[in-house]
Amino acid sequence: MKKIIAPLLLGAALSSAFAADDSLKQEVEALKAQMAELKSAQAKLNVDALRAQVSEIKAHDAGDNVKFNVDFRTAYDAVSYKLNNAPDQDNGIWTNKLILGMAAQPADNLVFQGKLGVYKTFGQNNMDQTSMFQAFDWYGTNKPGDDSIKLREAYFIYSDDMGDVHYAVSFGRRPSLDGFMTDLRADNDAPASPVGHNISMEFDGASFKFDFDKVTGISGLYFKICLGRGYSNTTGSYSMNSSGGFSPAYVEDSANPNMDLAGLLVQLYDNGQYKVMANYFKAWNMMDINAMTSNFSTGQIFFGDVGDMTGGSLSVQVNGIGDGLSDFLDDSIFFLSYAFNKTDPKGTHFIPDGMGGGAMGTEMLGSSSKETGSSVYTGLQLPGIAKGQRLGLEYNHGSKYWRSYTYGEDTLAGSKLATRGDAYEIYYKLPIVGKNLTAQLSYVYMNYDYTGSNTFFGWTGTPMDPSTVPGAVKSASDIRASLRYKY
Amino acid sequence: MKKVIGLLVSAFLVVGLMSTSAFADAAKGQKYYLKYMKDGSGMNGAKFATQHTQAEWKALFDGKAEKFVAEYSKKYPGLDAFLKGDKFEKFMPDIRDFCIEFASDSGNVPSC
Repeated sequence: MKKIIAPLLLGAALSSAFAADDSLKQEVEALKAQMAELKSAQAKLNVDALRAQVSEIKAHDAGDNVKFNVDFRTAYDAVSYKLNNAPDQDNGIWTNKLILGMAAQPADNLVFQGKLGVYKTFGQNNMDQTSMFQAFDWYGTNKPGDDSIKLREAYFIYSDDMGDVHYAVSFGRRPSLDGFMTDLRADNDAPASPVGHNISMEFDGASFKFDFDKVTGISGLYFKICLGRGYSNTTGSYSMNSSGGFSPAYVEDSANPNMDLAGLLVQLYDNGQYKVMANYFKAWNMMDINAMTSNFSTGQIFFGDVGDMTGGSLSVQVNGIGDGLSDFLDDSIFFLSYAFNKTDPKGTHFIPDGMGGGAMGTEMLGSSSKETGSSVYTGLQLPGIAKGQRLGLEYNHGSKYWRSYTYGEDTLAGSKLATRGDAYEIYYKLPIVGKNLTAQLSYVYMNYDYTGSNTFFGWTGTPMDPSTVPGAVKSASDIRASLRYKY
Repeated sequence: MKKVIGLLVSAFLVVGLMSTSAFADAAKGQKYYLKYMKDGSGMNGAKFATQHTQAEWKALFDGKAEKFVAEYSKKYPGLDAFLKGDKFEKFMPDIRDFCIEFASDSGNVPSC
């Protein structure tokens, strides 16, 4: 029996093995055919074209939206003041500062840039009750207040070429805070538009920029005409008149002047290492509190036109001292700047005598003559102890009649660049998580030779020896420790 | 107030010890471009950076940026000396970050 079964089993096994072999062969053939088809299809694909197509889609999508960025800082400021014949004053203030940036470029030659800002003290505050000028939009997003969102920047830039001259036209609320040189202490990647030495405040206007580097062969040469309005003389809608009725909306309000500025900003040279900038401006209808029409007890303040002012600056920044002398010097920045201002008093207006009386007269910064003020500003920014850390040292000195437009400077104890006297600053900044989270410690000290450094342009700006004025600030300081998130 | 200042200064020093080392800096890269490459390329930095997508710049700067040096030395002979010199090797990470930051598909908008 076993003899019969064994050959049968062997036969069955062999026949099934042959059948499996045939099926395997067929499958292999089918696979071969499929691979050939795939190879043929792949050969027809143009990978470069596909890659180009993907890049095009990515570039389009990246440009087809508004790009947002966040700049958020939490800080503690210790401000202190030494007063003449009065006790010293000091305070510690915690603040949160949020700047929400946005930008879009729908076409190669059209750009929109915007920034909204909230800069608030911790918790509720009583500033509205203590300051009549807290709501000024010269520094709406650069001085702490409440939690309302304010417009910091909103402008478009249209650019094109006229032969070898590239030009750009821009209208809107200007990028006019933390400009050239002052961007270093502000730890910004790039300076805003004006020279920070004499202009750092928020305003609305326009600019017209013309690049002449190709025409002249002078690296970085450009001219920029800047126009701005710092105060609008108009009533609001549904404003009441003296007889209790409604006034027409947005008509001229005789109580306040329009305050305008026109300036020329020139970048004389910029080769990436040496940068020379100059500006010259004229401002019309500078204002001061009109003591005749204002009601101090109710906080209702009106202004009066006290005159015009011209000014200018010349500044040099060296980005990398020497060339290859050492890594330390290559990574060091030095700047030096000179600025001036000249008053042109006009019009007759009431000038209080500080003792409850006063007289009609014509004056600016407390003088009926045309007065000239000046300021020097210098600084160094050096590499810190560890990689990425930076140490900054700055000094500025202002003369008796020095008046800058630096109301928007982010120093809580008053603008250091407006100081009529000597101001010193030392700061140290360090990265915590790359450039996205940084810390900064700074100390600003201002020693005043004259009063009126941070006021308006008429009688409130009168320079006086602080040691002769009871309660005048003789010196001020601001120590700040901050953490900043940027992305 | 003095106690708060003391605490904050101490915290600042501690944070300084804990902080990560900084990496390449696009803003510095922009300055190096202006100083060493603008004349050779004949265009401003914003225009230069839009020549490639982010992925393409990354590929060009891969390793020691050999591909970038080869392509751009040939494309702009005025850049040859800088790209093959010691300075480029030193500044390359910053220039790389600048190119990637403002690449054609970065979505970043030049401020002009």
